[in-house]
Amino acid sequence: MRNRTQFEETSRLLAHPQLSVIAPFFNEQDNIEPLYRSIIAAVEPLQVSFEIVFVDDGSRDATLARAVAIARTDPRVLVVKFRRNYGQTAAMAAGVAYANGSILVTMDGDLQNDPADIRKMLAKVAEGFDIVVGWRHDRKDKFLSRKLPSRVANWIIGKVTGVPIKDNGCSLKAYRAAVIKAIPLYSEMHRFIPAMASIAGPRIAEIKVRHHPRRFGTSKYGLSRIYKVMLDLLVIKTVTGFASRPLLWFTLLSLPALVFSLTAFAYAAFAVLVRGTDMPLPVAGAGLIFGSGAVMLMSSGAIGELVFKLGEVREPDFARLTTDCVTETTAQNGTAHNG
Amino acid sequence: MGLLTMAELPGDIEISAVITVGVRHADVAALYRDYKAALEGLQRTYELIFVMDGRFPDVSVALEDLQRQNEPLTVVRLTRAFGESTALMAGFERARGRIIVTLPGYYQIESGEISKLVDALSAADLAVGRRWPRAGSRFEALRRASFHRALGWVTGLRFSDLGCGARAMKRRVIEEIFLYGDQHRFFAILAHRQGFRVAEVTVRQSPRDRFEGRYRLREYAHRMLDILTVLFLVRFTKKPLRFFGMIGLALAGTGLLLLLYLIIARLGFAQPLANRPALLLTSLLVVLGLQLFAIGLLGELIIFTHARDIKDYQVDRVIQFHSEAAQTTSTDAEQERIAAP
Repeated sequence: MRNRTQFEETSRLLAHPQLSVIAPFFNEQDNIEPLYRSIIAAVEPLQVSFEIVFVDDGSRDATLARAVAIARTDPRVLVVKFRRNYGQTAAMAAGVAYANGSILVTMDGDLQNDPADIRKMLAKVAEGFDIVVGWRHDRKDKFLSRKLPSRVANWIIGKVTGVPIKDNGCSLKAYRAAVIKAIPLYSEMHRFIPAMASIAGPRIAEIKVRHHPRRFGTSKYGLSRIYKVMLDLLVIKTVTGFASRPLLWFTLLSLPALVFSLTAFAYAAFAVLVRGTDMPLPVAGAGLIFGSGAVMLMSSGAIGELVFKLGEVREPDFARLTTDCVTETTAQNGTAHNG
Repeated sequence: MGLLTMAELPGDIEISAVITVGVRHADVAALYRDYKAALEGLQRTYELIFVMDGRFPDVSVALEDLQRQNEPLTVVRLTRAFGESTALMAGFERARGRIIVTLPGYYQIESGEISKLVDALSAADLAVGRRWPRAGSRFEALRRASFHRALGWVTGLRFSDLGCGARAMKRRVIEEIFLYGDQHRFFAILAHRQGFRVAEVTVRQSPRDRFEGRYRLREYAHRMLDILTVLFLVRFTKKPLRFFGMIGLALAGTGLLLLLYLIIARLGFAQPLANRPALLLTSLLVVLGLQLFAIGLLGELIIFTHARDIKDYQVDRVIQFHSEAAQTTSTDAEQERIAAP
C-alpha cells in the first residue's frame, strides 16, 4: 500500500514537475546529446523535479532518432515531433503547450546557451519575476552580420514596445507557466515574447548569461528580414496596445485624413463664398476623397470592435495572471508563509 | 454530424471509395461496375459511397436499381448542388475505411490504376492522380501547364494535375481536412499545408475522359480566381499585415510624396492645380493605401483574438517512455500520449 502511494506520488510529480526545460531542434543531430547531458548536469543538483521537452521541428537528419533514444533511457524526456518544419516560434509554442512544469525554461537546441544559467534564472523567478530574459552580454558571433543588426533591432524594439530588453534574440528565458501559456504565440513572434507578454503586465527581469560559439552544425538564421521584423513589431505594438480599443485606434489613424479633408473643404468654400471665383474642383474633390477615406477607416474601427468582442482575448484574464491582491488578512497571514 | 469514431466502426472495412456525382456524370451503373471490379482486384474489404451533388433523376433511378439488386453501395443525396467540396465532406462523414479513395462521377482514369494510388500510401498520407500520357490538343496542355506553373509559383509546390478527382488517402487526412467552396481542387495543397506527405502518382487516363464543352471565358476567370484564392490562403491567412501592409504602405508613400511635390510646386513655383487631376490621383493613392493598411490591421486583430484556435504547427506524435511504475498508474492524460513502438 505504501508503495502504491509512492507510485502515485512519483507519477504526479512526473506529470507536474516544478521545472520544464524546452529545447527546439531542427537538424541538430550532433548537438542533442551534449545538450541533454549538460541540462541534466545543470538541473539535477538543483533538487527540483523537472522534465525536458525536446521539440523536433521536422529535422531531416538523425535528430529525432537520437532524441527518442534519449527518451527511452529517461522518462523525464518528452519528445514532440512535428510533421514537418514549421519554424522556431511554432516549435517554442508547441514546447510551451506540451510542457507540464510550473516554471518553463526555453533554450536553443544548438548549445549556444549554457544550461548552467538555469539556476540563476530560477532564482530570479523565485524572487517574484514572471519572465526572466537572458542577455548574451558576451556574444560569440560575428560583429557586423549578427551583433550590430541585433543591437540596433533591440534598441528599436525596446523603444517601440516600451519593454526595454537588451537582447530579444536570446532563446534562454524562464517563464511562470501560467503567464506564458496564456500569451498568444504565432507567426514569427519568438523574438518578441516579452513584448507580446506585456499584455499581461508581467514582471520582467534580465540577467546576463553565457554564450558559446556554435560547435556543431550550421546557423539557420541570418540578416535579411529587417522589414518583416519591423512589420511584426508594428503588429505587436498594435495588438498589445490597442486591441481592446480598435475604434479609438482607427479613428486616430483617420485623423490626418479628416483634417486634410476639412481644410480642403474650407479652402473651396472660401474660394466660392468670399472670393467669388469658380469652385476649385481638384481641391474639393481631394477633400471628398480624404473625407470618405476617414469614414472608411472609422468604419473599420467599428468592425474591429466587433472582432475583439467576438474574440477570445479578455483583459481581466490576463490581469488575473499577474495581479497581486493584498487584503488585510492575507497580508498578515501571508508574511508568515511567503518569507 | 461528425466523423465516425473508431468505436462506431462496425467490422473493419479497409477501403472506402467516395464517388461524387455532379452535373458532368457518366452512366453510373456502368461506372459502378467498373469501379467495383477495380476494388475487388485489390483483395481488401471495401465499401462504395455515391454522393449525389444535386438532384439527378437518372442517377437516382440507376442507383436505386443497383441497391435493389443488393449491390453493396451507400447513396448520399444532397438536396441541391452544394459543390464538390461539400459533396466530398458528406461522403467522408459516412466513410468507415482506414483508407479513403475519392473518385469522380465520370471516367477520368483507368479504374485499374486505383491500385497504384492505394499502393502509394505506403510512403505518403495522400496520393493524388496525375493523368499521363494526357489526351488533348497542344493548346490545352499549354493552358494546364501555365495554370499549374502559376500555382507552383504561389505555393512553392509542384503539382501537375490538380483537376484529377482520383485520390487515395489515409483516414487521418479526412479527419483533419475541412473543404468548402471550390477547395476540392486544392486538396493536395491544403493537405500539404496541414503537414501531410503528398505524393503525385502517374495514372493512365481513361479514353472516355473528354471534356465536351468548350473552355469558355468563364472557366478562365474561375482558374484565375483559384490562383488568387490559393495566394490568399498561403500568403495572407497567417500574416495579413505583411501582405496588405506592404502594398498599403507603398501606395500611401507614393501618394504622400506626390502630394508633397504638388504642394511645393503650387506654393513655391505657382504652378496651377485647378486644371489637372493630379491632386485627385494623389489623394486616391493615399486613401487607398491607408485602407489597405487598415484591412491588414483588422486581419491581425482577428488572428490575435483567435490565436488559441489557430495552431501554427501540426504535431506528428509525442514520445515519452514511462518507467514501469508510472505505467501501471497511467492516468487519462497520460494515455493521450502515444508511446513510440
